[in-house]
Amino acid sequence: MGMSYRRYLHGERIYGCSKCRTHLTTISFMISRAFNGQHGRAYLFETVVNIVEGEPSDRVMTTGNHTVRDIYCIKCNTTLGWKYDKAYEASQKYKEGRFILERNLLIDVQ
Amino acid sequence: MRLSDSEQTTPVQALVGPSSHNGLSSTNGHTLNGNGFGFFTNGNGVSASGSNRKNGKGSLARVNLPGQLLYEDSNVDREEFVRLLLQSLRDVGYTESAATLEAESGYSMEEPEVQRFREYILEGIWTKAEDALSRLGIVDEDNLWDAKFLINKQKYLELLEARKTAAALHVLRAELAPSSPEPSQLHALSSLIMCTDPEDIRQRADWDGASGQSRQQLLLQLHRFIPPSVMIPQRRFLTLLHQAHEDQLRRCTYHNTPIDATPFSLLSDHECNKDEFPGVTTTVLLGHADEVWNVEWSHDGMYLASGSRDKTAIIWYIGPDSRKWEAFLVLREHDFPVHSIAWSLDDAMLLTGAEHHIKLWDAKTGSFIRSMNEHTETVTALSWLPDGSGFLSAALDRKIIQWDTEGNKKLSWGTTDLRVTDLAVTPDLSRVVTIGMHAPSLSESGGAAARARPGSGDNTNSGGNPPTIMPTQNRCVVYHLMTRQVESSFELEGEVTSVKVSRDSQYALINHSPDEIQLWDLKRVRLARKFTGQRQGRHIIRSCLGGVDDSFVASGSEDGNVYVWHRDTGALLETLSGHGEGSVNSVAWNPRNQQMFASCSDDRSIRIWEAPPSELVTDAPRGHIRTYTDFSASSKGKGKTRQTDGDAEEIGPSPRF
Repeated sequence: MGMSYRRYLHGERIYGCSKCRTHLTTISFMISRAFNGQHGRAYLFETVVNIVEGEPSDRVMTTGNHTVRDIYCIKCNTTLGWKYDKAYEASQKYKEGRFILERNLLIDVQ
Repeated sequence: MRLSDSEQTTPVQALVGPSSHNGLSSTNGHTLNGNGFGFFTNGNGVSASGSNRKNGKGSLARVNLPGQLLYEDSNVDREEFVRLLLQSLRDVGYTESAATLEAESGYSMEEPEVQRFREYILEGIWTKAEDALSRLGIVDEDNLWDAKFLINKQKYLELLEARKTAAALHVLRAELAPSSPEPSQLHALSSLIMCTDPEDIRQRADWDGASGQSRQQLLLQLHRFIPPSVMIPQRRFLTLLHQAHEDQLRRCTYHNTPIDATPFSLLSDHECNKDEFPGVTTTVLLGHADEVWNVEWSHDGMYLASGSRDKTAIIWYIGPDSRKWEAFLVLREHDFPVHSIAWSLDDAMLLTGAEHHIKLWDAKTGSFIRSMNEHTETVTALSWLPDGSGFLSAALDRKIIQWDTEGNKKLSWGTTDLRVTDLAVTPDLSRVVTIGMHAPSLSESGGAAARARPGSGDNTNSGGNPPTIMPTQNRCVVYHLMTRQVESSFELEGEVTSVKVSRDSQYALINHSPDEIQLWDLKRVRLARKFTGQRQGRHIIRSCLGGVDDSFVASGSEDGNVYVWHRDTGALLETLSGHGEGSVNSVAWNPRNQQMFASCSDDRSIRIWEAPPSELVTDAPRGHIRTYTDFSASSKGKGKTRQTDGDAEEIGPSPRF
């Protein structure tokens, strides 16, 4: 796989992993705050960097059935949220390819 | 002694030669016309009519040749050539031969005036020297003034040195002041009047005194103003031969023998044997349990340190020829993969960088000495300072920190504008070259463009372009080491992953994606050369300079090959296969053994590259060599045979035997 450095973001508000401060995304990639995760509030983002994606699995959520993958911090391996591969309900299709990050696992970094 | 074919094949014509006027240079001596001589010029008083000369006593005739060229089809002026010969002959003491040559050719090395001028300078007869100067054909008035200034400067300094202050003062006022090209020079000279100690004068004037080399130096400087046709630059023939030699070395693509081991014959062109190039794997080091990301040789060239994704560093004993290698020490106790390594100047200690941690180790026993955890992001570079005062660390947190030899923080350079991805210190201690991602700490820009859309609304991404991650600007920033001031800074394309500096401190070698390595001239802040061929997209790929005079550039590559170029021409010399799947992450040339380098790869192995052993060069069947040392022990090794049918004939039985 080779060696690579983690990516660094710039922008007004950068969200990082609460454990190791690795840059994950910025406020400009936020699509919605109206989500819930396992630890309370969660945000939907367009793009997230410096993560490892797990294996896909089907999960039934409040808005229907989805195929999702857990996502982990590339540095400290903490589970941060998940990525939507597929939404079965037509109204939920906009989530496909996007990411959920749990608010309690994020901190502001600069 | 050159005869063209046509000349040689027609002896009849050669016999007729003397009467014809086709300018055969081989017929010297036939075209006697008894001019006699009278050309002694340089006052050396040696008669051309030596009693032991074969062709007659005192009657050496001048040879009249047509035209002005040495050979008809050359552009070498015969008179110039003969004058250089005369100079060389006199320099080595063949004065009588020189006189004979002058008589026979009718050319003189220099006018007698020039020889006298030289003597006046070397003997310090300044008034006569100045007098003679005006008769040496200096056309430009300014040049004449400048030359006079130099002579008077020497005169002035010698008077000061001899404590003849009054006389010196007179020279300063009457001679130097009117002819000084710049007021600052005059000012500097006049300030020396105050010095009482001759040693002090010599030091401050950067001048080695009347009894030193200063008069010779003056003569060299004066050459700039005097037409070379009047006064031939010293040892001119030798200069030309040196230039030819240097040119041959530059053209020698596989050149890798030290200057003192390179016999310089005038009779044939220099060319290194390609068989001596380190193009085959002689050893595969196995021991790491995961990808190997970096390698670094000890200064004595006997040990190699490697850093791996398996969270260890290994110190390998390689020895003089890599036959008895062993994993000498394994440095565990890293919490993260090891990606940076640096040997102390005496090879007694080793630094490792793993994520944001730096660790210092005893390189002889493997015992852990201490941790340095000042950085908050990945430590990307560790570099001991060539003066032995400690080391520098640089990281993606934009910080550069200076440490003493025991790992105590000496000072932080503060937060720079660069997330540093690599750093190198020039051996002359003048510069620190950093590369990385430009990221000013006050990121007022970047946000606005990326925030085309407010982040609060739900589900608003319909139709419009999705925001993208701003591309990072990559730069090289060069600092003056002592002042820590930025000396130069320039933008680079793509992700920059590696920087090395040449041993002469003049160049920086920088890898960047996609697929390019650049050599920058640090003094002129100019791109000197590009090297292409290797693959670099997403990974940290490192390169190095190596071989005699840093003649070669080597690099890892994402296609699993090692690439080697000729530094001065940029020509790709070798694409070496052997490593298994994944990237070759780093390469390092042995600093002592110029015929050896190492490469490390995602295939968990390290390869030592050397020239094929000589007995195999001569005995092995064609094309066999490149495979003989492939131990094929690496875990993921694919076919390792070098596809060498094309160049195998170069390795066949040597024509020497």
